[in-house]
Order: sequence, then C-alpha cells, then structure tokens
Amino acid sequence: MLKINGLYKRFGDKEVLCGLDMHVPANSVFGFIGRNGAGKTTTMKAVLGLIKTDAGEIFVDGERVRYGETQTNRKIGYLPDVPEFYSFMTAREYLRLCADITGMDKNEVASRTEELLTLVGLDTEKHRIGGYSRGMKQRLGIAQALFARPRLLICDEPTSALDPVGRKEILDILSAAASQTTVLFSTHILSDVERICTDIAFLDGGKNALCGKLADIKAKYRADEYVIETENAEGANALLAAFPTLVADGCALSLKDADGMLFDVLRFVSERGIPVIRVERSEPSLEALFVEAVEK
Amino acid sequence: MRGFVAFVKKEFTEQLRTGKLFMLAAVFALFGIMNPAVAKLTPWMMEQFAESLAQTGISITEYEITAFDSWLQFFKNIPMALIIFVLAECGIFTKEYASRTLVLCLTKGLTRRRVMLAKTFVLSILWSVLYFACFGITYAYSAYFWDNSVVCSLGFAVLGWWLLGMLCVALVPFFSALFDANTGVAAGVGGVIVASYLLGLIPRLAEYTPAFLMKSAPLMYGQADSGEYTYAVIVTAILIVASVAAALPLFNKKQL
Ligand SMILES: Nc1ncnc2c1ncn2[C@@H]1O[C@H](COP(=O)(O)OP(=O)(O)O)[C@@H](O)[C@H]1O
Ligand SMILES: [Mg+2]
Repeated sequence: MLKINGLYKRFGDKEVLCGLDMHVPANSVFGFIGRNGAGKTTTMKAVLGLIKTDAGEIFVDGERVRYGETQTNRKIGYLPDVPEFYSFMTAREYLRLCADITGMDKNEVASRTEELLTLVGLDTEKHRIGGYSRGMKQRLGIAQALFARPRLLICDEPTSALDPVGRKEILDILSAAASQTTVLFSTHILSDVERICTDIAFLDGGKNALCGKLADIKAKYRADEYVIETENAEGANALLAAFPTLVADGCALSLKDADGMLFDVLRFVSERGIPVIRVERSEPSLEALFVEAVEK
Repeated sequence: MRGFVAFVKKEFTEQLRTGKLFMLAAVFALFGIMNPAVAKLTPWMMEQFAESLAQTGISITEYEITAFDSWLQFFKNIPMALIIFVLAECGIFTKEYASRTLVLCLTKGLTRRRVMLAKTFVLSILWSVLYFACFGITYAYSAYFWDNSVVCSLGFAVLGWWLLGMLCVALVPFFSALFDANTGVAAGVGGVIVASYLLGLIPRLAEYTPAFLMKSAPLMYGQADSGEYTYAVIVTAILIVASVAAALPLFNKKQL
C-alpha cells in the first residue's frame, strides 16, 4: 500500500531521516513507533507531499508522491498531530466541505456524514468546532480522514494528548476503521501498539530499526522462556534445589531454554503437590524489543 | 470546479461569521454617507467659524456647495477605506498558515492553485461590492442634493480607484506566498503602492505608474482627458495579472 525507499531529509544541519525504508502492507494496522523527535511527523508529511525530501522515493498504491502535488492524496486520509478545523463551522458543515473538495457523489454525502459522525460519537453535537475539546477535535479528525473512504489512513499520534478513556475510544475507532482501510499511525505509546497493531516499524536514528509483522517480530525475539510462580517460598526453594538452572525472582522462577525441561519441572510440581499461582510463556515486551533494536 | 466553489463558499461564510463582512460593510457605508454629509454641512460649519474668523480679519466669501464637494470628499476618503480593507483582509492566507487548517484541505486533493484563486476571487468580489456600494451611496445622495453632472469623467475617476484596489487585492496572494505573517503581507502591499507613488514623483515616469490613477481631480475639473491615463491603466492591469501569475508557482512551492 505504501512503500518508502531510502528517504533522506535534513533540516539545516540536522539529519532527521537518513535512508528510511518502510513497507506498509495493504489491510494492516501499522504502528509507526519512535520517540519524540525521531522524525515520525516528518515522514508522514513527506508521504503527503507536504515537505520536500532530499532523496528517496515514496509510492502510495504504486503511485509516486511528488512534493506540492496532491494527486496521491486522493487515496489517503490524514489526521495531523494537532488537527485544526475552521472553528466557525459545525462538524456537519466541515464534512460537507470535505465532500465537495474530494468530489464525493452528492447523493451519498448526507448518509456518509451521519454514518461517520455516529462512528466517532459526534452525531448529536450541534455547536461550532471552535468550542470542541481536544478529544472531540481528534474524533472529528478521524471522521474527516475516513470520509472519502481512503485506501490508506494516516494518523499522527492520535492518542498522545488524550486521557486513558479518550485513548481507548480512538483506538476502538481505528480498529473499526481497519476493516475498510489500511491504517498507519504513529505513536510513542507501546501499549497502544500492542492493543491494535498487526505490523510495526521502529524509527530510530532516521532509519527503520525494526520492521515487520508484530507476530513475526515477537516470535523471532521470543527466547523460549517460561515463568512459573509458586504460592510460597518452600515450593520455590524445593524447585530451585531440584533444578539449579532456574532463575529466581521471589517466588517467580524463570526457565530459559526449556527444551523439554518444562515438562520435568511440571512433573516435579505435580508429584510434590507444590501450590502454583501461574505458569506462562513469557512474551518479549515491545519495550524490551525496542531497546534491543535501538542498541544494536 | 466543485472544490473551488465549496472553498469560495467557505471563505464567504468565514467573512460573515467572524463579523469581518459586517465591519467592512459598516465602514464603507459610513464613508459613503459621510462624503455628501460633510459637503452638505460645510456651509453651516463655515457659518459657525465665520464670526471668530472675522475677528481675526479673515472674511469668508459666499461659497456655493455642489456635487463636486461631495466627490472631493469621496476621493479624499477612499484611500482610508482601502487601507482599512487591506489591513482587515491581509491575513486571509497567513491566518490559515498559522492555524494549519489549509493542510487538511490540501491533503484531500484540493489544489493549491484553487485555494489561491478562490481566496483572490473572494477578495476581488468583496472589494468591488464594498467599493461600488460606497460609490452608490455617495452618488445617490449627491444626485438628491445637487447635480452629479457637474463633475467631468466621474465614472472614469471612480474606475481608477477601483483598479488600484484590485491591484492591492492581487498583491495579497503574491506577498502571502512570500511571507508567513500578515504584517509581511500588509507591508508588501503598502510598499508597492508607496513605491509606485514615489516613482510617480519623477515627471517622466508619472503617467506609467499605478499611482497616476489616484489623480482624480484633473479628471473631475475636465482639465485632463481619460485618454491620458491609458498607460497607467495598462501598467496596473499588467501588474495585477503578473502578481497573481507569479503567486501561483510561489504558492505551490511554499512550505506549509
Ligand atoms: N520545519 C522544521 N524545521 C526545523 N526542524 C524541524 C522541522 N520539523 C521538524 N524538525 C526537527 O526534526 C525532528 C523530527 O521531528 P518530527 O518529525 O516532528 O518528530 P516526531 O514526530 O517523531 O516527534 C525534530 O528534532 C524537529 O526538531
Ligand atoms: Mg510528531
């Protein structure tokens, strides 16, 4: 859906992007992760043809993006990091303007407007946009981005400025939107990514430090590691005595490089009747992956 | 075309709901009424001063007010109206740079060319309607009190100032493509008009400058023929077209 090859961008003497490659597959929910100032917004603006890049090429659905031109943008819905709308309009009037700009079929405008306002929960709002809260603007932002049924939805940190309830609402809306379009959103909040993303890219030092399907990346970095937590210290000590390779953290014992040893441990537990709170396969956290990828 | 029309509609809604249209309409209507009113009241004011002036030794001869005085007021006040218009509207582009509202329209496929032309179109309609409304009011009152026909080439003199206003309108997109702040735009427009005025002080160049169109008195007294203004009209028209034409590529390359 979106392909970025060797993208370079510098502001003054500051290299923000230096050779970014990225591929966003169709129908994915793509999490674009990077710390503040990593260049996420810059990359997105380049995709929209809003800033001039120094080198590299960008293709949206096979079509080359050019600075200052808006051809490829017909396929994209965009929500900027701080969306601002004409404050003297109401949400309905604004969507009407969007419909006219994109040339949407006139018979469809009214029904599409209601559909989207309902999706983002602004259908009963009658006031002008000037009086909207941050979260309401963010939701209207998603409505206008989705309005013309874009093939690609680009959201720049849609959840960063919101409280937990507002964040959950936005994530739910994005998940719902994902059934109809490819979603690319940037964030520095890793839990949001784990919640809805199918694919991710870590942006660091102007390059992609890690990129691919979330499941694949997790599988690749998954050290076969299990955690078994006993109810009391005696149980833990008995296990430690029998299996010296276990690493203890209080009553939680972690077991690396299982290779069948897990079953020996479990057999030991069942024979001795050791009370257990949990046994689980430990997933590598995105944080750990991020740190690892960045340090490489 | 639909995008253009929608954007023009948006601009007019904005002018209306932000109160700008009302403010400008009030200013231009006030000027329109004041021109004949001041002329009408001049004899009365003279009378009030006459006594005190007589004491200082100045005597006032009887002076008959005609439509002429009303139109002299008109051409004296219209520069102020134009300045107010430019100051009120010079932020029509820059305001949207600052609020970043334009970005969303552009990313929806509205071309920058349409945005620029729509705003320029709205400004020229606004200027034309306000200006001719002001003219119409003065004309109607003057016709009621006196006789407008004493003024020579009135239509041409009026069109001259309208064209000058259109030049200011056309300079707004040009300087908005160059500058990010409305102060830059206002200074740019003002700068061009002042420069043209200064060039006009050089006798050899005078008739080629837009500022030449400001000389409405010779036309009104019948001392000058409208044909003498041909070069000024042509130069101004060329500047208008050139300004908009140059603004297009500049605006296309502008970082928003
Ligand atoms: N217009 C600009 N002029 C100069 N520097 C800029 C400009 N835009 C962004 N930058 C710099 O580029 C870097 C990346 O910015 P940005 O893409 O906004 O990061 P992110 O969205 O990941 O937080 C930042 O260090 C920022 O200071
Ligand atoms: Mg950003």
